[in-house]
Amino acid sequence: MSGFELNTSIANLRDLRASDLGAYDAIYLGDIYCRLYEANFLERPDDLREGIRILREQGKRPYVATYAAPRNDFLPRIQKTLEVAATAGAEAVEIHNLGVLKIAHDQFPGLPVHVGGFANVYTDAGVEVLRGFGAVRFTPNYELSLDEIREIVTTCQAPMELLVHGKMPLGVSDYCFLLEYEEKWGIKCPDLCQKDLFLKQGDWAMKSVGKGILSGKDVCMLEHLPRLLADGHRHFRIETLSESPEYRREVAGVYREALGRAADAPFDLDTGWWNVVRAHARIGVCNGFYFGKSGMDYAGIRPEAVGSLLTISPSAQ
Amino acid sequence: MTTLLAPAGSPEAVQAALDAGADAVYVGLKGWSRGGARGELTWDELVTSRRRAAAAGRDLQVALNIIPKPDDRARLFERIPLLLDLGIRTLIVNDVGILGTLRREFPALRVTASIGCGAQTASDVSFFRDLGAHAVVLPGTIGPEEVRGMAAVGGIAVEVMLHMVEEFILLGKCWMPSYVHLKPSPLPDDAPARSLPEGAERGLRQTGSMKRGGVGACFKICQTPWDLYQGDRWVDARLFPSRQISRRLDVAAYVESGVEVLKLQGRSLPPEELGPLVRRYRAALDGRSGEGAVADAPMALPVSWTVVGR
Repeated sequence: MSGFELNTSIANLRDLRASDLGAYDAIYLGDIYCRLYEANFLERPDDLREGIRILREQGKRPYVATYAAPRNDFLPRIQKTLEVAATAGAEAVEIHNLGVLKIAHDQFPGLPVHVGGFANVYTDAGVEVLRGFGAVRFTPNYELSLDEIREIVTTCQAPMELLVHGKMPLGVSDYCFLLEYEEKWGIKCPDLCQKDLFLKQGDWAMKSVGKGILSGKDVCMLEHLPRLLADGHRHFRIETLSESPEYRREVAGVYREALGRAADAPFDLDTGWWNVVRAHARIGVCNGFYFGKSGMDYAGIRPEAVGSLLTISPSAQ
Repeated sequence: MTTLLAPAGSPEAVQAALDAGADAVYVGLKGWSRGGARGELTWDELVTSRRRAAAAGRDLQVALNIIPKPDDRARLFERIPLLLDLGIRTLIVNDVGILGTLRREFPALRVTASIGCGAQTASDVSFFRDLGAHAVVLPGTIGPEEVRGMAAVGGIAVEVMLHMVEEFILLGKCWMPSYVHLKPSPLPDDAPARSLPEGAERGLRQTGSMKRGGVGACFKICQTPWDLYQGDRWVDARLFPSRQISRRLDVAAYVESGVEVLKLQGRSLPPEELGPLVRRYRAALDGRSGEGAVADAPMALPVSWTVVGR
């Protein structure tokens, strides 16, 4: 095993089978936004078992995601998902919802819990509370800066999982407004949300995946990997739930190689890496909130290498 | 007995809510409550409001529902004894860390998990009960029948926000505004002097972050037009859907389902609008549904906009 973990997320068996996962160490199975997402692992226990089996066969760590914002009528299905995760050999479940955390803690106490980004972990005090419910790894809220995350780690020594590349979740809804377009576009659910749909105001863009809103730009922390490692982080997420198998494979290849070199000094950034990142970032790249700025800014060391976009500004670091 | 909890954003609004029959009123303390400056009270205004509530024999609750950074959190906790001295007994918070700490360090306090905590299921209610919350606020999107099972959890009071705006993104699960703009701004300087040592640096809060304090605006980006593109092709211009929820006609059903507190949203409402609103819900709660009846605001969601496949 390498000194870090690179993981991603896949919604269904079709995407799992179509994806080359060679560069990943672990995979989260399931779409966290919608029960109607096409063949969602979280609605199909047999598919979930098969997905876990495939990952184990490939030597990957299988993780199981859970819904970000469940209602009461989700709960029996979530209990079933947790049961499958526990019995089929998932190595952890990702939980965004506090009620689901309680279910996992009460009914599946042996199942390691990774707290997801929608659980609103903003502080060390929040980490400590969730630890009391069995959580062992935490994705801090995306609004936190690296400095704030470091403070949490320093205070409570909690393992963090950071989004290093891909579209950052910005919100989740009970509703899917794309359903309004079924008739107009002649495209039915569950195909609607798999179109490349972007909401734009000027140079500001967000991606719609139905009940979920993602950043339009791809978070890109490629040139900041040495900082992340120096801060003690070892668990890195490339968010590819709404991306193609090519994106999943190629971007992971870049990060696998880059992470392998990131401990070197100096950290030489390969021009080919930028070409891959640029090719897959339809709207451009950003750093999320990691540098205490608005989520769509890019605070690069070498912004010219990225070749994008309107909000790029040289970093003062 | 089910009680009516009204919002207020000024001492005048507190008085209007009391006069209209609110059993309790909640206010925000400037710099520490989600929703921003328009609906927040200075310390002096809080003192005045508390006196007015006490004179009427009612309760005044304080929303401290932002998630401050660690330094600011220490300043927040410095204020708790002052609030207790003032006679405040109930705080409304939206962070599990703050909730847990308050319960541990200030056992005299009654702590409510705010609507921003995002509770929507019976399991969520159980979680907050186990954490020590005395009450949890559910959105009015959850109907009386569904609430019944959540109220049955027991050991924690269930409150329902019957009058509120439902926005597209769930409360407590949105950081679209800060994606476009995030700017630290100083906390207000009108807190009691003894709560801030001389020379101490004032804290910052994050404009644009709804969880950490919006300073009067979350930019309401969901209420401005967006162009929808499929790939590179423009396909529509649209708003994110939202609607006004006004469940006055369901008050009896909520009471029957075991809800302990009926809560209204609207700290930014002026007294002349707040009073009639509270009066209408007071009448509904007292079984006088015809009194003061005014047509509730229409649902703004398109007809096709149903909750599908939850």
